[in-house]
Amino acid sequence: MLLGQAFFGLCAALAIIGALSTVIAKNPIRGAMGLLLMIVAIAGLFLALHAEFLAAIQLIVYAGAIVVLFLFVIMLLGPASQSPSDQRGQIVRSLGAALFAGSGLTGAYYVWHTAPAMKKLLDAPPNDFGTIDTIGRVLFSDGLVPFELSSGLLMVAIVGAVAVARGKHRTDDSHNGRGEILSSRGPDGEDAKDAKDDARTTKPTGEVTT
Amino acid sequence: MTTLDLIATLVKILVMVGFLFNVAGLLTWVDRRLSSMIQDRIGPNRAGLPLTKKITLRLFGLLHTAADGVKFFTKKDFMPPKADKLLFSLAPILAMAPVLALAAVIPMGDTVSLAQVGPRKLCMDAEGHALGLFVGDQCLDAAKNIVTAFASTATQWPAASRLGMNSSQGILHLSIAPLNVGILYIFAMAGQGIVGAAIAGWSSDNKFSLMGALRAASQMVSYEVTLGLSLVGAMMIYGSVRLQDMVIWQGENTWGIFVQPLAFFLFFTAAVAESKRIPFDLPEAESELVSGYFTEYSGMKFGMFYFAEYMEIVTSSMLLVTIFLGGWQLPFLHRDGLTLQFGDTMIIQQKVGHLAMLVIGVLAFFGKTLIICLLQAFVRWSLPRFRYDQLQKLCWQTLLPLSLANIFATGIIWLGLQSGGAPVAAGLKLASDITQGVVAVVLIGLVVWAIIGMFSPSRHLTQILGTSAKRAAKRGGTVTDPMQA
Repeated sequence: MLLGQAFFGLCAALAIIGALSTVIAKNPIRGAMGLLLMIVAIAGLFLALHAEFLAAIQLIVYAGAIVVLFLFVIMLLGPASQSPSDQRGQIVRSLGAALFAGSGLTGAYYVWHTAPAMKKLLDAPPNDFGTIDTIGRVLFSDGLVPFELSSGLLMVAIVGAVAVARGKHRTDDSHNGRGEILSSRGPDGEDAKDAKDDARTTKPTGEVTT
Repeated sequence: MTTLDLIATLVKILVMVGFLFNVAGLLTWVDRRLSSMIQDRIGPNRAGLPLTKKITLRLFGLLHTAADGVKFFTKKDFMPPKADKLLFSLAPILAMAPVLALAAVIPMGDTVSLAQVGPRKLCMDAEGHALGLFVGDQCLDAAKNIVTAFASTATQWPAASRLGMNSSQGILHLSIAPLNVGILYIFAMAGQGIVGAAIAGWSSDNKFSLMGALRAASQMVSYEVTLGLSLVGAMMIYGSVRLQDMVIWQGENTWGIFVQPLAFFLFFTAAVAESKRIPFDLPEAESELVSGYFTEYSGMKFGMFYFAEYMEIVTSSMLLVTIFLGGWQLPFLHRDGLTLQFGDTMIIQQKVGHLAMLVIGVLAFFGKTLIICLLQAFVRWSLPRFRYDQLQKLCWQTLLPLSLANIFATGIIWLGLQSGGAPVAAGLKLASDITQGVVAVVLIGLVVWAIIGMFSPSRHLTQILGTSAKRAAKRGGTVTDPMQA
């Protein structure tokens, strides 16, 4: 039991350190590393709860994909990238921080006061809690509709991502007639400029609609 | 956790990590030696222990690895002045730790049944399938249900489990952490390796490093998708994500390479790409990027990157062996000994003790791993490097669709076979036994060939190189110089 307590304490401390360094770090890469630390620590907390599957998925999805994506974007922006100066006022920011800290502290207060009085908050989970078998069974029986709906949502997101990524390419060859819909997005920023460049280069044919 | 568990875990960690480090070290030598053989050079021959003034103990260049280690430790640990000090030092650790952690779930041998490290009593049905373990005069199967039908007539496929283990009498898994999530843990750990490379490149304050890191990150993220999806078919057939169960299935039926041949090649390709070696070594392409993301590293920090790469070869070979090549299993050798059987016809049955089978299993696992490591080293010296767009195209346009198609086809075929009934099951059992026979013949043939090769006198080839010289030799000498005839 002592080992379990120590493990929980370590993971919790690391998660808090990671979360704080994510927010505080000036250097974006260090912020991303703080996020990674927090994600790994939370995976450790899941492990302590016998949710091995959740811990593995946490590591695969968040640490293996999302943090890497963050790192990738930061590296593409270059080492000189700094966070843009925050335009919001001091009052709004301190209000947000106060709200966040207040809700956190209130929650901690209630847990502190009510937990000893209640013998146990929840029933002890069954032995196979958090295993792949159990989660699979729940996902495909009780939670089938939300599960399928969320897969539909992911599908939409994927299609949307492909559409967004392709949109910019299409404006380049808009003179072949297929890019008309995409290039008529209006005079906002780069797309309009691209289209203008296109119009300049393909003026003789005169097919471009901006 | 009892004291016995603690000691056993420590021993397992020592064996696994010891194997990893030693074989990784040995692989650096194999790489050099093999490259020299393939490229027709002499190979590593400088490092040696001078015994006398004339004789130097060279040991086929094996001491180069030791010399490397000494060099890593004594070299100046240089850090670029504008580097991010913390991240620069953290990166080699982040690159190496996941590879070590990955080895934790790989089973290196059969589950030890502490009560029966010795001959076991199995109850068999009429065809010799093990039904379970005799406890008193009752036959108990793996789930400790009393088996009443001692002689079932239908051949089962997958065959009846030989896992006649009684967990109350104490069992010991021969993997460091027999995790429930098995393969998912491996994916989780494999994903962490990217961060090390990315951080190394970014913190070095060097454009080459940054380019290398970008390449490494995008390459590894891409190939990880294929790596994961290629195993889904195998998981479907094995019906488990635990590596232990996968190996047991392969022992009962047939090796994974026969049921998932496409997945084997997809996984192998993706694993080579993940370890960033030729032909996928774009992140450290020395002709373009000096050495990519670890350009600025020297001393032991470089050594860690270098060593992590070789350890990755070993761990990916272990995974390949576990998932596709039967892990610790050898054909016809089961927990209860040798059972040579094709379909329903039994040929030989010989009981072997539990301990002996365990030792054979562990040796088989490590032997197979070494063979796959050698194969990976061969790949390195026989293929040219891809171009970067080819690399990404190969992943997203060839390997990924193939792995998706593999999942689809596996699902349909598996469903069809399962609904095929008894004749199909019997046919599959026979087919799997035949594949096991083929594997056995090939393995024995390889051993015999190696022994013959070892004892046959070495041939000293005197080869005339060059086509004109060959032509001249055929004619019996050159025309201009009759003395050579």
